Amino acid sequence: MTPPEIVFHEVSKFYGEVLGVNGVSFRIPPGITSLVGPNGSGKTTLMNLMAGLIHPDRGDITVRGLSPRDPEHLMRITGYATQYDSAPRGTTGYDFVSTGLLLAGYSTTETAERAWKALERLSMTEAAHRKVAAYSKGMRQRVRLAQAIARDPEVLVLDEPLNGLDPLVRAETIAMFREFASQGRHVVLSSHVLQEVDVISDQVILIANGAIIAEGEIRGVRDEIREHPSQFVIRCRDASRIASLLFEQDHITQIKIHEDRLGLLVMTRNRREFSRALTRISLAGQTIESVVAADENVDALYEYLIGGGR
Amino acid sequence: MNLLRQVWLIARLQLGRVFFSRRSFWIYLLALFPTVIFLVHGIDTKLRRQRWSSRMTSPAALESIREGDTDEEVLNRAGRPINDETYDREWRRGAKKRGRPIMYRYMMYFDGSRRWDLNFEAGLLQNKRSLALVNFEEERQVFAAIFQYFYLRLAIFFGCLGIFMNLFRGEMLDKTLHFWFLVPARREVLLAGKYLAGLIAAVLIFALGASLCFGVILWLQDPVPREAFWRDQGASHLFWYAASAALGCIGYGSVFLAAGLLLRNPIIPAIVILLWESINGLLPAMLQKLSILYYVQSLCPVPAPTPSDAPLLVRLLMAPAEPPSATLAVLGLLGVTALVLWAASRAVRRLEINYGTD
Repeated sequence: MTPPEIVFHEVSKFYGEVLGVNGVSFRIPPGITSLVGPNGSGKTTLMNLMAGLIHPDRGDITVRGLSPRDPEHLMRITGYATQYDSAPRGTTGYDFVSTGLLLAGYSTTETAERAWKALERLSMTEAAHRKVAAYSKGMRQRVRLAQAIARDPEVLVLDEPLNGLDPLVRAETIAMFREFASQGRHVVLSSHVLQEVDVISDQVILIANGAIIAEGEIRGVRDEIREHPSQFVIRCRDASRIASLLFEQDHITQIKIHEDRLGLLVMTRNRREFSRALTRISLAGQTIESVVAADENVDALYEYLIGGGR
Repeated sequence: MNLLRQVWLIARLQLGRVFFSRRSFWIYLLALFPTVIFLVHGIDTKLRRQRWSSRMTSPAALESIREGDTDEEVLNRAGRPINDETYDREWRRGAKKRGRPIMYRYMMYFDGSRRWDLNFEAGLLQNKRSLALVNFEEERQVFAAIFQYFYLRLAIFFGCLGIFMNLFRGEMLDKTLHFWFLVPARREVLLAGKYLAGLIAAVLIFALGASLCFGVILWLQDPVPREAFWRDQGASHLFWYAASAALGCIGYGSVFLAAGLLLRNPIIPAIVILLWESINGLLPAMLQKLSILYYVQSLCPVPAPTPSDAPLLVRLLMAPAEPPSATLAVLGLLGVTALVLWAASRAVRRLEINYGTD
């Protein structure tokens, strides 16, 4: 049986004459998926489409088989932490978390249990009876996350979820996302903290100007980008000698030798041939201490794909 | 989950916001304004009665006074007046030439229920006029006019505008509407819950406001006529005034709830609907039925008086439409409301959260 997916098929959304997303198609399997792109690229639009806050002008969306036009059922399996303060005026943290539970049909006792559990998970129990309006930025972020996870959803949609969190809570929150993902659920998040996306995500969807530039596992996405040479950092005993040997290969486009003469940055158009060449050089007696890919992270992908749009 | 339970839960969560929002403070002022006016008038009347009661004159003595009596004869018969003012005037009213100064005198008496104004010219009584301190009939007419021209047309109209437009539009401005769109409930249920919250608040505020004002008028009256009126038609009048206010809230509430979903600026629908409601009496019979005022006004127990000296345009605008029967009025209003709410439910299903376009 195929795992339940989030499916976008030829989805377009325009805000008047302003482009939201255009002809977007992709499938998100369970796990942690990050939407990455510059401001205005369409990340929040995709999330809002998933949650039914906006509707596509063209195309179809299903979230684990449910239509976003059916909030009654969709919101039973989906928790969405938006980037806006969504608590109505005068709402306390507890009310904010418990309202959705009550409307989902949980009894008062069960609602209280689930709400406190979610608040506890985000270390928000002490402030639970204070008004959300009086919370700090970090606390608001945490209470939004608590509200999103309170119904124990199968799909967590999180718009910039790590913003404003201190390092300890951030680490705990990431661990929580992993736990959700390990249970076969969807965690879809957007973030500007690229290093974190790199570490957290099972897959990324790179967006620019309302279109999907690339999607999949970060390494897989990197492999798809043929026009940009792959970069490797080599640490060795004799950088000049290895550089001259590598330059004999057609696929090498550029080499930079470090100032300490013990390392070099190599750019190649053929990763496989590069690997073979290194093996030959090593077998010929040159000492190579380490080889590290320098651009298998979202920072580099961003740079290649979006080209200064950040 | 039971839909009605969801509706009630949403309404309950909204009620605090509707009742205690800073934006709704002026709605209480509008609702209580007539009560305050009648209360001030009532307290003033009670105080005057109390003050004048110590120098009361018998009604028989005052009845016996005739035009042409001298001021001394009046003083002998009726005693010292409550108010006695004397002044000279050189010009006689209507005279072309300046003549000898004429002595004018004004005396005021109180017989326990009526005040008597006596005007003398050159020591002789020129005219005598009595005025009941509390005129129940007149006050009921004044209340009918205030209820229909101020309460229904302005207070409830703008009160509902403030309450119901804010239910969705206010939350869009606060960027909190998506909180409600992200709960596991149908949009129609959300609409019904919000409408119910607005309705509970508006009906409580305005039906209570109207009842309170009616109560103040009754409190002003002497016990005997008050009890007679209450037994005869008072309870029925109170019911219909409260019902008219409540039905006004039901009708205008639905209209402004829908307007809040469809339009960004509340001023435009307010002006258009106010204009439409104002010219209702001038419209063809078919179009009159598409007005809240048409139904609500016909339920009022006392027809509002139209001042004969008012300009023609004002009289035309104040003229009520041909009234339907009470049953037809209630059914018609509920029908119009259902139609508007159905349109609102279509709009809320299509409504999108657009405060961010990242």
